[in-house]
Amino acid sequence: MRRLCLVIKVSHLKKVFCDKKRGKIKAVNDVDFHCFGGQIFGLLGPNGAGKTTTLRILATIMKPTEGEVLVNGYDVVKEAHQVRQSIGFLSGETGLYDRFTPRETILFFGRINGLSEHIIKARMKEIFQILDMNSFQDIRVDKLSTGMKQKLSIARAIIHNPPVLIFDEPTVGLDLITARVVVNYIREFKSQGKCIILSTHQMVEAEKLCDEIAIIHKGRILAQGTLTELQQQFPEKDLEEIFFHLVKDKIGEEV
Amino acid sequence: MNQRNIYLVYQKEIQGAIRDRRTLISMIIIPLVFYPLLFLGIGYFSVMGQRNIEKLPSLINIFGGEKAPQLVEILQKDENIIIKQSDPKQSEKQYSKNDLLEEDIHLTIFIPEIFEEEYSGKGKITQLSIVLQFDSTEQRSQLAKKRVSALIDYYRQEIVQDRLEQWNLDKNFIQPIKEEWVDIAPEDKKIGSMLGMILPYLIIILVFIGAMHSAIDITAGEKERGTLATLLVSQLSRLEIVLGKYFTVVTISAISLLLGLIGLGIAFLTPAYLLGEVSAIEVHFSFSLFFFFFLILLPLVGLASAILILIGIFARNSREASTYVTPVYMMAIFLGMISLSQGIELPKPLFFVPVLNNSFVFKQLLMGTIDWLHISGTLISNIAIALLALFVATKVFHKENVLFRS
Repeated sequence: MRRLCLVIKVSHLKKVFCDKKRGKIKAVNDVDFHCFGGQIFGLLGPNGAGKTTTLRILATIMKPTEGEVLVNGYDVVKEAHQVRQSIGFLSGETGLYDRFTPRETILFFGRINGLSEHIIKARMKEIFQILDMNSFQDIRVDKLSTGMKQKLSIARAIIHNPPVLIFDEPTVGLDLITARVVVNYIREFKSQGKCIILSTHQMVEAEKLCDEIAIIHKGRILAQGTLTELQQQFPEKDLEEIFFHLVKDKIGEEV
Repeated sequence: MNQRNIYLVYQKEIQGAIRDRRTLISMIIIPLVFYPLLFLGIGYFSVMGQRNIEKLPSLINIFGGEKAPQLVEILQKDENIIIKQSDPKQSEKQYSKNDLLEEDIHLTIFIPEIFEEEYSGKGKITQLSIVLQFDSTEQRSQLAKKRVSALIDYYRQEIVQDRLEQWNLDKNFIQPIKEEWVDIAPEDKKIGSMLGMILPYLIIILVFIGAMHSAIDITAGEKERGTLATLLVSQLSRLEIVLGKYFTVVTISAISLLLGLIGLGIAFLTPAYLLGEVSAIEVHFSFSLFFFFFLILLPLVGLASAILILIGIFARNSREASTYVTPVYMMAIFLGMISLSQGIELPKPLFFVPVLNNSFVFKQLLMGTIDWLHISGTLISNIAIALLALFVATKVFHKENVLFRS
């Protein structure tokens, strides 16, 4: 059995936004979790639960208000550069340049990630092969379909072969076939020993894909564990039922 | 900070800009084609307008003309003047303003006093009092004034000549002093002064136009298209991103400036009649002068690019950026206009005001003066403000509420 090593450690993470109209908003409120290499960790929750904010902090594009976050052993605030070397980040906001072709995109991101030309060429060949991108590698991004773009985004995120992959809603907006392709790649990355953290609001996806799930709602983690552990903790057997059970309790508490 | 990374960002942005048709329009078509055509057009139409008016006759009314038949005769002889009405009865009525406007008359002459024909007699010397009405806001009325005034002057000289003869006096009796003014300004300085009024203004606007589109597109536009986060999670530092983008805008703005100078150069080399008075004297643009213009304006390019990058990074999207750019653009036009209205001298403290100082150094250069003190002052102030803007831009780039506000 493969020995699991701790790759992401999040302790007492808090993120507070100041909004002129709504005052202080606790987007992430005292969140703790950790993930290992060769594991897929899922953040499951509705819109506005704090998933994206948590992942943005992991990706160093937002700073935590409180708490400590270590990615691949590096602190996201003090060692942001090293963290960025260790991660591949994919989200709705990591768009692609319309005026470039997939080949040019990958070349650019390979170069700014400090890879040498021959490594980029080799990685590109390999990734284009795996993701089946050879047929459209020289077509401008603005002419590509959503599925092709998502494949390119994945290729872009993994070009520097990072040990950690952070995927914010990786299958959102994709058709069934492309979504399935993406899911398969995520499994493939797991088998390569990468640590994958993803957010989703689709129960089925979390159930099928994740080794460990954290159900997050209004900035707090309500329950955490493997699917089996969650099933043991709650009377419901289905993830969706567990989710609604938890969220209902929460709403009850607030009322 | 890694120079290679700055270069990679720069290379990517330039490549993207070249593939954007709008950049090509603002960088090449506007300065090289549109601008000189516009400039030629202004010259052409103002000259043509002037010429057409000068072909038209002036319509005038004379009241009390019988009191000065000689003057009326002189006026009648001129083919450009048509006397519409010469009613002796109305002379008493005096003048009312409506006479001019309602009847399409460009000038009205009233001869209210009895003009004594014996002006040539030795006894009494009299003066003819004439009232002339015109409308200073009407070009044709102004032209009528010019024509009639010249004829009256001619008439006046005839009378004086007659009187002098009658009194047996020499012409010098009434002209004890003759002055002769000689303009010692060198020819290129004269041209420089004329061009210096308008040219810096035109060029400064060009620098801003050239930088504006690309600066907004690669900052606020990138936020809008959602590609900024992709850059931010890469291993580039914020400073490397800002500088890579900055040098892109500088390059594009500098190219548009260079092409603008070439475009205006072409406009000035076209036959003089197209440009009217501006280039009535032939202009000689030497290559070195041209190159010097470019060098003098480069700091302004650097400054404009830095400020536009800052605005673009701060704005949520392109539309917001365009709104924020408007006052900056207007400020530049305003400073350009001040330089247009000021002479060729600028008080020392003002030499640290950007745009104004660039335009003055430009003017000096047009007049053949190279003042290193002014040039270095301009350079220092432009660079200092550009650096400040870039520093703030990098700081703003670190603020997540600026990056993620939508």
